Amino acid sequence: MRLEEAEIEAALAAVSSGWLTMGPRIQALEAAAAERLGVRHALAVSSGTAALHLACVAAGLGEGSIAVVSSLAGPEAAFAPRSSGAEAVAADLEAVLEPVADLLGAVTPATRVVIVSHPTGVAADAAGLRRACDTQGIVLIEDATDALGATLPDGRAAGSAGHLGCFSLADGRLGGVGEGGIVVTGDDALAARVKSLRSHAMTSVTWDRHRGHADSYDIVDIGFNFRMDEPRAALAMARLERVGALVEARRAAAQTIRAAAPADVTPAWPDALPAGAAPQAVALVAPDEARRDALARALTACGVAARSWPRMLHGSTPVAAEARARTVLVDLGAIEAAGLDARTVAHALRAA
Amino acid sequence: MTVASGTSPSLPLFDLRVLPEDIAAVAAVYRDGRLGMGERVEAFEAAFAQQLGCRHAVALSSCTGALHLAYLAAGVGPGDEVIVPSMTFAATANAVIYCGATPVFADAIGTHDLSIDPDHVETLIGPRTKAIAAVHFGGYAAPVERLAALCERHGLELIEDAAHAPSARLGDRKLGTFGFAGAFSFFSNKVLPCGEGGLLATDDDGAAAYAREYRSPAAGGLNYRMDEPRAALLLSRLRRLEDDIAQRRALVRRYRRGLALLDGVIVPYRDEDVELSSCYVMPILLEDEGRQSPVRRAMRERHAIQTSLLYPAVHEFTAYRERFPGISLPRTERLARTEVTLPLFPHMTETEQDRVLAALEDALAS
Repeated sequence: MRLEEAEIEAALAAVSSGWLTMGPRIQALEAAAAERLGVRHALAVSSGTAALHLACVAAGLGEGSIAVVSSLAGPEAAFAPRSSGAEAVAADLEAVLEPVADLLGAVTPATRVVIVSHPTGVAADAAGLRRACDTQGIVLIEDATDALGATLPDGRAAGSAGHLGCFSLADGRLGGVGEGGIVVTGDDALAARVKSLRSHAMTSVTWDRHRGHADSYDIVDIGFNFRMDEPRAALAMARLERVGALVEARRAAAQTIRAAAPADVTPAWPDALPAGAAPQAVALVAPDEARRDALARALTACGVAARSWPRMLHGSTPVAAEARARTVLVDLGAIEAAGLDARTVAHALRAA
Repeated sequence: MTVASGTSPSLPLFDLRVLPEDIAAVAAVYRDGRLGMGERVEAFEAAFAQQLGCRHAVALSSCTGALHLAYLAAGVGPGDEVIVPSMTFAATANAVIYCGATPVFADAIGTHDLSIDPDHVETLIGPRTKAIAAVHFGGYAAPVERLAALCERHGLELIEDAAHAPSARLGDRKLGTFGFAGAFSFFSNKVLPCGEGGLLATDDDGAAAYAREYRSPAAGGLNYRMDEPRAALLLSRLRRLEDDIAQRRALVRRYRRGLALLDGVIVPYRDEDVELSSCYVMPILLEDEGRQSPVRRAMRERHAIQTSLLYPAVHEFTAYRERFPGISLPRTERLARTEVTLPLFPHMTETEQDRVLAALEDALAS
């Protein structure tokens, strides 16, 4: 990944200011993210994992409650319900080539939360899910950790249709800053709860006390240290301003990889790269596992780690199992990190 | 940093000065573009472990994360108890609750030493006790040798919350190396700051391997990783740590001489303790309960000097009173109602220090 000089300068200005913990730059990032994503509240946190963890706690998940999660969810979304004592149930996919989970099909009367993922930066129909969840009293959390910059079929930002949306700013993610995350919500009470729990449920933070706005504090719940700091906030803010350009670059890279798929290999979403996608990876589906492994070897030979869909949750999910066996994820962030051009990787895949 | 905004105190509690060499170190990471945990994190871990004299250092996102992983690595789980001080930041106890275990609060020693009282700890050890947590308050050693002996006798693990105490010592040995694991903080107001950060130090190979695995979400759903820019900043600042601490000690010695002349003030710890402490903060205790808020308010409003309170007692927070009602820790409660933390940072000038002392004298007289 190459950062622009303006991004570097913004982050360094925060470092040289000497005020490194949550302060004015966090506030500015949160205001900018809320505006860009079209939500009332955006809260900067330490990681996408922390974002999902806080969203689950804020949604009221706890001992004995159940969350329905995509069978393809990564560890961040798959383990988040568990860390608040709840159970995560895996929803199977609709099709290997359209790796969208049938979340509503896995809902039961005991379901408290549904977590919808936007795999590889292709947005699922979160707006439709939100309507369905609202009629059943279910909290919808969008795992948008792969989807900063993606848009939903209705044109809104991915992450903005659920009760809570969770983004990752980890290295390799579009807009990444190292480690970081953002929680968005339109609900004042959920925002207040996330804000409180990210910093030990303290009634005032260091910045308030520094400015003489508070003398001491109470602790009103068992919270966490899931704070982001000022240098990361400054960098995230500068990167957020470039999200449009970053999405265009990723889409171009994704098209290059898709076009390089050998004749017997099909990209997921075979007709075309979906219009609102902000690609994190390209999922290439091989006819069988042996062929998938050959593609993976070609990728590894370029210096790019080859992954498939993660397996974090157990349960009867035969379509997901088949998808996992036949899919190789060509991670565009990993290609950037390796300092490679998508065309180099495409060349290797074409020959595989 | 020059604090000049209209709402900021003219003399803050802490003031982090970032040097050009620090900025150059961070700039090199941004220009390189690989920001996720990598070679700088490894280099910082190696340098910190060497500086501390321990086998393993695992860099993390916060000291809270370090405490959580330390308890987990010590085998703390649902149904267990961990004996913790209440005169600490809530994370020491919160991290016990993250493990599904119960924090059992022990009282402080007293006004001369704010750390956990080993005599009280001994009375609290029961069949469910799994570990004891000691906080090196302000960078002054808790009685870790006695606590380690207690742990040895009862088959418990000692966890050192060394958030305040990088490079502080007890005898010739660095704090954070006496127990099963030590947890350090790199929060911006700390002795070795980077913004948000922490570290787990241990001689136990299993604990180190556990922390390395579980700081990444794939293992168990937590993300407690540090990233490269923070590691680069810490590596740069670690080179000046001993100098920073030497300046802190000189200021504390001078504070103590000035404070000895004031009536109504108790200064904890002994002069010789300063020489081994990391001198994270300058704590004082007021003889009269009820003076704490008026004195702090007068210092802020009349003299624009920021003070702090280390700490409100953890067992008295709403979240804890609701979960663990009826706890009485008289010495801790008295400390929490009389402690005032004065400004302290390595480049504080004698003029600034004299301003603090004069302001305190004025606040005490009114």
